Amino acid sequence: MNIVVAEDEFLIADMLVVSLEEAGHRVRDAPHGAGALRLIQEERPDLLITDFMMPLMTGLELAEALRADDGLRDIPIVLVSGAQGLIARERSDLFDIVIDKPYRIERILEALARLIAKPID
Amino acid sequence: MTQQLPRLSTGVPGLDPILGGGFVEGASYIVQGQPGAGKTILGNQVAFATASSGRKVLYVTLLAETHDRLFQSLSTLSFFDKAQLGSRISYVSVFQTLNKEGLGAVVDLLRKETKRQGASLIVFDGLLNARDRAETDLDVKTFVAEVQSQAAFVGCTVMFLTSARTHDDSPEHTMVDGVIEMHEELVGLRTVRRLRVRKSRGSASLGGFHQYEIAEPGISVFPRIEAALRLPSVSDQPDLTPLTSGIEGLDVLTGGGLPRGSTTLVVGPSGSGKTSFGINFLAAGSHKEPGLHFGFYESPDRLLSKASALGLDLRRAVDKGELEILWHPLTENLIDKLAYRLLDAVAARGVKRLFIDSLGGFERAAVHGSRMVEFFAALTNELRARGVTTVATWELRDLFSSQVSAPGPEISSALDNLILMRQVEIGAHYKRLLSVLKVRDQSYAAAPQEVIIDGHGLAISGPFEEAVGISTGLARPLGASSS
Repeated sequence: MNIVVAEDEFLIADMLVVSLEEAGHRVRDAPHGAGALRLIQEERPDLLITDFMMPLMTGLELAEALRADDGLRDIPIVLVSGAQGLIARERSDLFDIVIDKPYRIERILEALARLIAKPID
Repeated sequence: MTQQLPRLSTGVPGLDPILGGGFVEGASYIVQGQPGAGKTILGNQVAFATASSGRKVLYVTLLAETHDRLFQSLSTLSFFDKAQLGSRISYVSVFQTLNKEGLGAVVDLLRKETKRQGASLIVFDGLLNARDRAETDLDVKTFVAEVQSQAAFVGCTVMFLTSARTHDDSPEHTMVDGVIEMHEELVGLRTVRRLRVRKSRGSASLGGFHQYEIAEPGISVFPRIEAALRLPSVSDQPDLTPLTSGIEGLDVLTGGGLPRGSTTLVVGPSGSGKTSFGINFLAAGSHKEPGLHFGFYESPDRLLSKASALGLDLRRAVDKGELEILWHPLTENLIDKLAYRLLDAVAARGVKRLFIDSLGGFERAAVHGSRMVEFFAALTNELRARGVTTVATWELRDLFSSQVSAPGPEISSALDNLILMRQVEIGAHYKRLLSVLKVRDQSYAAAPQEVIIDGHGLAISGPFEEAVGISTGLARPLGASSS
């Protein structure tokens, strides 16, 4: 699967990229929402994993931008967030899965497995 | 005409007065100190205070630590409010931007982000890391200059937190409007945290070191009271009618009682009746003249038992709110914190009768003994201006001594009245003695008096029998032969 990761904290971004690559995915990452949007437009990934609080464009704004774009609206979005889990869960129109930080990497992999098993239509 | 600059309150108790009223809006500050000094706590405390006043904050990190780890440690502090995260305070990491695109890109990102968020405050945590990245000092200087000028343009205040030891003449220092240094150091066996404002453009700051503590509410700073209360906070309105001492037989000796607003020092060795003197003084209080016992020795319960053993009921006064007992055991204390606790308690209840048992408790808490003269002067001036009549004790070391030592200059400069208490061995008896050595602006009888406990606390039974050597504690009746 082609995945774009949007995460400003490099430790988390690094860990995500390495783990997802080890699980057999192709991963590109961006340090903020604006960079991620550019990557998504180039890559047309199968999935976006995004943080909430990021400079230039938050995860919420990024998700809104995707859903407003006819070409990108169907890309599933996983939100990974510390404090904004509640806000995000109220927006099931934007996020397919919300995972609270801190989390173990297995949770992300399990979530991906579920998304693959049950494709969004 | 001088102009007051608009201020951003730091929300950190005690810090605003040191900065001359808070941060100057749109100004930039460097906060520096070793790891563990509390810079990140300070930065976050200011961020949450700013957010809770309805403003937006941008917290920018260059740290290796994740934000979640940071939130985890902040969650033990009461100012931390998860609901503000992502709404009024945004935590963003620019580490990747710095690594991939350099300082110029970080400056650009901060400019866009400040505008986008409408931020009133930027906290930039980890300036040292920015220096690592910069090829020369000039780059960090340019970085600081650009960040602060673009923030000032939109009226946004900036705090740069750094563990770097920057010097007075370092380029960053010349750029910013203020520098706050935080220290943690060992003095003897104890750790002392203190802070100082090294540079403060546009404000009269309180110079020198001020102690601070980190506890559950976050950081509290205690400005040295001789600096903060250089002049009393209220104007003195002297009331010349004396206040009864509460000790039977004493008022006639001191010209009608203790002068209102004066400080009386009761000196004497252990067991001479100093605490009992204070209990009598407090027992004479009323709802119009509320009392405060500020002690370092007896716990409140022990003090109440001691009073009832003397035949004085302080418990009723406590229950009616006429008396408050504050106890600070002689363990590790911060001297200025003690002084603020005292002054706050005085202000809260309009205390008129104050008993401090003893001034030695303040002295023990002092890290620098050389400031005691100024410390006690500021404290007693403030109490006097608030119309508080104070009785304080001072312990003499020797039970019996051929030398009668006067209290040191640190004490004597602050006191108005001086009373000596002793146990005196005469014949085959021990007797208690009280001598009025000084009363400011009132005539007094200086002859030594015998003190008894008459079922209503201390009382003066009359002049001590004629003897020599009374003030040493080892007396001989006049006419007895000296062996």
